[in-house]
Amino acid sequence: MTTTLNKSEGKVLIKGNYAIANAAVIAGCQCYFGYPITPQSEIGEFMSGKMQELGRAYVSAESELGAINMTIGACSTGVKAMTSSSSCAISLMQEGISYACSDELPVVIVSVMRGGPGLGNIYPSQGDYEQAVIGGGNGDYRIIVLAPGTVQECVDLTYKTFYLAHKYRMPAMLLADGLLGQMMEPCLFGDYPYPEVDNSEWMLTGAKNRHRRVIRSYAPLAEDQCVFLNKLFNKYKVLEENEVMYDEYMVDDADIVVMSFGSMGRNVKSAVKACREKGLKVGAFRPLTLFPFPNRKIEELSHSAKKILVTEINMGQMLRDVRLAVNGRIPVEFLGKPVGSMIDIEDIVKKIESMIEV
Amino acid sequence: MATQVFKVPDIMIDGFKFGFCPGCDHGVAMRLVAECLDELNLQENTICASAIGCSVCIYDYINVDTIEAPHGRAIAEATGVKRAKPDKFVFTYQGDGDFASIGLAESMHAALRGEKISAICINNTNYGMTGGQLGPTTMVGQVTTTSPTGRNLEYYGYPMKIAEQFALCDGVAFSARVSLDTVPNIRKAKAAIKKAFEYQIKGLGFSFVEILSSCPTNWRMTPQKAHDRVRDEMMKVFVPGVYKDILESKQV
Repeated sequence: MTTTLNKSEGKVLIKGNYAIANAAVIAGCQCYFGYPITPQSEIGEFMSGKMQELGRAYVSAESELGAINMTIGACSTGVKAMTSSSSCAISLMQEGISYACSDELPVVIVSVMRGGPGLGNIYPSQGDYEQAVIGGGNGDYRIIVLAPGTVQECVDLTYKTFYLAHKYRMPAMLLADGLLGQMMEPCLFGDYPYPEVDNSEWMLTGAKNRHRRVIRSYAPLAEDQCVFLNKLFNKYKVLEENEVMYDEYMVDDADIVVMSFGSMGRNVKSAVKACREKGLKVGAFRPLTLFPFPNRKIEELSHSAKKILVTEINMGQMLRDVRLAVNGRIPVEFLGKPVGSMIDIEDIVKKIESMIEV
Repeated sequence: MATQVFKVPDIMIDGFKFGFCPGCDHGVAMRLVAECLDELNLQENTICASAIGCSVCIYDYINVDTIEAPHGRAIAEATGVKRAKPDKFVFTYQGDGDFASIGLAESMHAALRGEKISAICINNTNYGMTGGQLGPTTMVGQVTTTSPTGRNLEYYGYPMKIAEQFALCDGVAFSARVSLDTVPNIRKAKAAIKKAFEYQIKGLGFSFVEILSSCPTNWRMTPQKAHDRVRDEMMKVFVPGVYKDILESKQV
């Protein structure tokens, strides 16, 4: 796509990866750093042309280590900056993500999942839920993780990712998958809908007319590290209070709630519709924020529903978080698939019916 | 009337005390960096990317905005800073392990891209902070805690000549190696650092100074012996000089 898309009037038909990239440009992303990897290479390709056209910064990084650390460097000056990658290469960024948490920098990372572990393959997968939500970097930290399920949500949640990263001054990840990255859907860009966050209290600009600032993670004294981590985790508490987002569909009277995240939510909704047509009381629930996770809402659902079914294109990762929130009150079953396409609607319906029969 | 001929650079943090081992050259090197920043009036416009190892301490001594990078990633973070804010003066201060081993890809590609940043690299032929292990510049035959019988080629291969290697990168405007073993050489070192900084200000490309430094504690030597080693051994292999200067058209 040698597109000149930036702002558009009305809906456009566009691939998920381009939608993410264009939304980042509209959000005011000043610097993009990246290294190619399928299935997200279109993001870097779009950015290489667009950022130069707009006089913003683009660097073809020598590696994902380089890319994440360039993003950290750019963010330290208060600008909006991002990198994007996929699965095995997000692994390479884990060190940087841990540092960015410790540095309290609004680094935006787009992760378009492919199959794993190892090199795996380029088929759609949701096998990096844990990589995103729990993380593979060292130390106690969390990052904000948003999971779109449609191309329109790719746009809306890219805006939100930039906003939350800056509002809370911490790394935030948009977690998409190969299916979303590669599919085309109509979507609307509009304007960046959030206020600009004032970073002037902490950003590095050169110590002119003020004391110098050091952004560092080194905390040689244990007491200092305790103070810092308590502060960090208080911030996470505020996030859990205020920023949880989810999509629910006919859950109020549902005996069975089917939970999924990202693109898997599409077939789940279709399956729920099919079940309702058969007169079965089934609803769908899909977290949009994987961190902060909608623990409280799921706990509520565990009081109103009789059973929960979790469906993912992995071996059961969000499953664990759902079970923690349900805390044993009702059965939580799993329908998964290691990698490939979404689970078929008929298979989800069949699974739901089997749960009702028991 | 009395004239002040020597003073602590203004940019040094008030009341600082170097915490380096006796005889270590980090203090001299940092002071030279400070003097150059002062003389070029850069304090208010500088962002430093510090590294990991003994060099991380630079923010305890030099009073500029600083971001502390993970090991080997100072050049990447400096790249991000400079790309985001091209009007800022951006430099790194790293050890040879940080710059030329774990961070070699970041360093070399920034040099090839001609990033308009300056890198100062301390070469003390070992990993100092962790207790003197073999690094990318450990000399053939040198005993370290991980080369107990000396660096032999069969097990360890050759050390890297950093200033020469980087002079080969087309994006490099200035690449030099200096030594701090004598007062005249310290003067030359300062001139090289200043030139590197000036080349960034002029937007000429990536500028680099490798500083040969003593590490008496890990070398198990007195400060005097350590400086003798810099002169008698290191400078014979790591020969000081300007390896690239695009304004002088000097190239290897």
